[in-house]
Amino acid sequence: MGGYGDVQMLNEDGTRMDGRRPDELRKIEIEAGVVPVADGSARVQWGTNLAIAAVYGPMEAHPRKISRQDRCVLDVRYNMAPFSVTDRIRPGFNRRSREIGKVTANALESVVQLELYPRSKIRVEIEIMCAEAGTRCVGLTAASVALADAGIPMTDMVVSVASGRVNGVVVLDLNKEEDNYGDADLPMGILPNSGELVFLQMDGDLSPEDFQEAWDYNMGAAKEIHEIMVAALAARYGGDA
Amino acid sequence: MSDSGDVGRLVIPGDSLGEIGERRAGHGVLRRNGELIATRLGHLREKDGELSVNPVHTAYTPRPGDLIVGYVEGMRSNIWFIDIGGPFNAILPMSLAAGKVDFGATREYMDVGSTVLCRVQEVDENHGAVVTMKGMGLRKLNSGFVDTVPSHLLSRVVGVDGQMLKSIKEASDCRMVVGQNGRIWIEGDASGTRLARSALSVIREAGHRPDIESRVRGILDE
Amino acid sequence: MGIPLVPGLLRDHLNELAERDERVDGRGRLEGRPIEVEVNPIERAEGSARVRMGDTIVYAGVKFQIMTPYSDRPDQGGLMTSAEIRPIAGRNWEPGPPSEESIELGRVVDRGIRESGCIDVNGLCILPGEKAWQVIIDLHAISDDGNLFDAFALAAIVALRNATLPAERFDVGEDEPLELSCTPIMCSYHKVGGRFVYDANGEEELGGDERIHITLGDEGHVHSLQKGLRGVFTSEEFDDIMQAARARRDELMELVESLEQD
Repeated sequence: MGGYGDVQMLNEDGTRMDGRRPDELRKIEIEAGVVPVADGSARVQWGTNLAIAAVYGPMEAHPRKISRQDRCVLDVRYNMAPFSVTDRIRPGFNRRSREIGKVTANALESVVQLELYPRSKIRVEIEIMCAEAGTRCVGLTAASVALADAGIPMTDMVVSVASGRVNGVVVLDLNKEEDNYGDADLPMGILPNSGELVFLQMDGDLSPEDFQEAWDYNMGAAKEIHEIMVAALAARYGGDA
Repeated sequence: MSDSGDVGRLVIPGDSLGEIGERRAGHGVLRRNGELIATRLGHLREKDGELSVNPVHTAYTPRPGDLIVGYVEGMRSNIWFIDIGGPFNAILPMSLAAGKVDFGATREYMDVGSTVLCRVQEVDENHGAVVTMKGMGLRKLNSGFVDTVPSHLLSRVVGVDGQMLKSIKEASDCRMVVGQNGRIWIEGDASGTRLARSALSVIREAGHRPDIESRVRGILDE
Repeated sequence: MGIPLVPGLLRDHLNELAERDERVDGRGRLEGRPIEVEVNPIERAEGSARVRMGDTIVYAGVKFQIMTPYSDRPDQGGLMTSAEIRPIAGRNWEPGPPSEESIELGRVVDRGIRESGCIDVNGLCILPGEKAWQVIIDLHAISDDGNLFDAFALAAIVALRNATLPAERFDVGEDEPLELSCTPIMCSYHKVGGRFVYDANGEEELGGDERIHITLGDEGHVHSLQKGLRGVFTSEEFDDIMQAARARRDELMELVESLEQD
């Protein structure tokens, strides 16, 4: 968050620098089954973001110390490829990635029926190949499709998207400049069928009205994103049988 | 959105299947807030008022009596740990091995990497299985090859009254044993094995399609 | 689907197939798997490539940074190759520090590029003694079904050939394409069932023995060789695969040239 409120981010007609309306999503394309050796996988192209998620499992929970008698554990890794950003990221331990992995795991654990596979684990591997704001949302969305593709039982899919505010106007699905120069970032993980939340973070400064508007934008976009996820799975499994 | 007109459609986790009404929740279906929802990716089925999902993928869960092809992953002095392809390993106690084994001699008898044909003896409430090698035909496999097919497609491999499996065996001139855990042992000459594997490959790719039988016959006739 | 983790039966089966001059997937001994190459799929990288060989899928990304030249080589820039095989690439890849395998992979690909001289490190100089370009190639595996070596090497050279020096971003001039003076291409041969085969898949790697990696540049020049794992091979075996590598290199060169995006 830069608080660079003076940078002009909106056009005269109210559209954003990339031509979108304030309540418009970036272009999203999803394909399931893109990692042939994995049990399930998905690729999400979201604006310039490219995320690939793969799922392995359920499998024996190694090391023993993470194994739980009563349920499965989700072993989630989120990683950004060194070339995914303008200034190369050195490979290795990264605190931000570790944190995102953890909150992603918490979100997914809220929907995966963990009690069906006691003493085992499910690996979720999220790789961000190209980044352009909102990578944690793109990663969580990709992971959700990958889990479904792997046949893991869940009570709902997880749709993740972020909204914020630039030049006093609340906007849906921040791009890179909007994330850098805007006033706030509100990413959410939403269950499209129940409207419940499994993931919530916020940075910046939002008035109560703006907060509500950003919240509503995310909730409204969830349906559209969900449809794209469903279409990706239907494309792979041939529709009806 | 609640009658059998939906049967056969693809559902994804979280999809609403309508109000509960008179129906029951079967495999892959959950009751929530007065309605039924799908929890698995798969195709909707309805039978005798029970709504269920035929999943596109299933992890193998062992059941007593299942014939399985396992790999020895480790051992102690009186027990082997067998990878059965499920969420976790099964155990084979010394007392249930095929012949007589001396205490501490488990490694000589069957080392890590050995392939065994065994049967599930019992399963505890946590899906942990005990397997046995005492029984007809159960043994360590010393030759041949093991291919894998997802467990939910095994019925396609076997076919109605075992016809599909019979056709594959005849065309390839191979011995084949289908493990319930999705592992299939094949023994024959190199070209026969490859033919059998090609047939299995077709089933892996297109097993959910209704024309699978003719596709496999196409491969076998070549 | 997954690879059978049964070295015992697998090796016997591979031996049997080899006796009949056959391979598990029906390919000829020196035949490669189908290849797909995508140029510059990663917008944030200065050059990138996605390569698919059978079910092995990798990405290579080229990034440029400004470095201070070493005092004993004030006119030269730098080249670095780093390979990471993240757990996404397969059931058996564990999280943690780089494994010996991934280190070897990175170094073998690096040598092939470096020793070919395809990048003129003197040409990377911006201001002698003060500023020079450092070229960093990052190799990232997404799906491992064998022969990551060749997939990485191909992705790296395609990414380099389509890379642009980001001079404007660093305020040192105008953007221009990275110039390469030749095209090093790697061919790897694994000993499976007692004989060398080209482009081993996951099963063949699992049940096979030693491997030889050959990087050839233009006009048949040999730029690097590496033998991996335990085992022995004869001069005849080597001559045979060297001949095969020359032929294959020409085929791959045609492919690489056909991808040019001018």
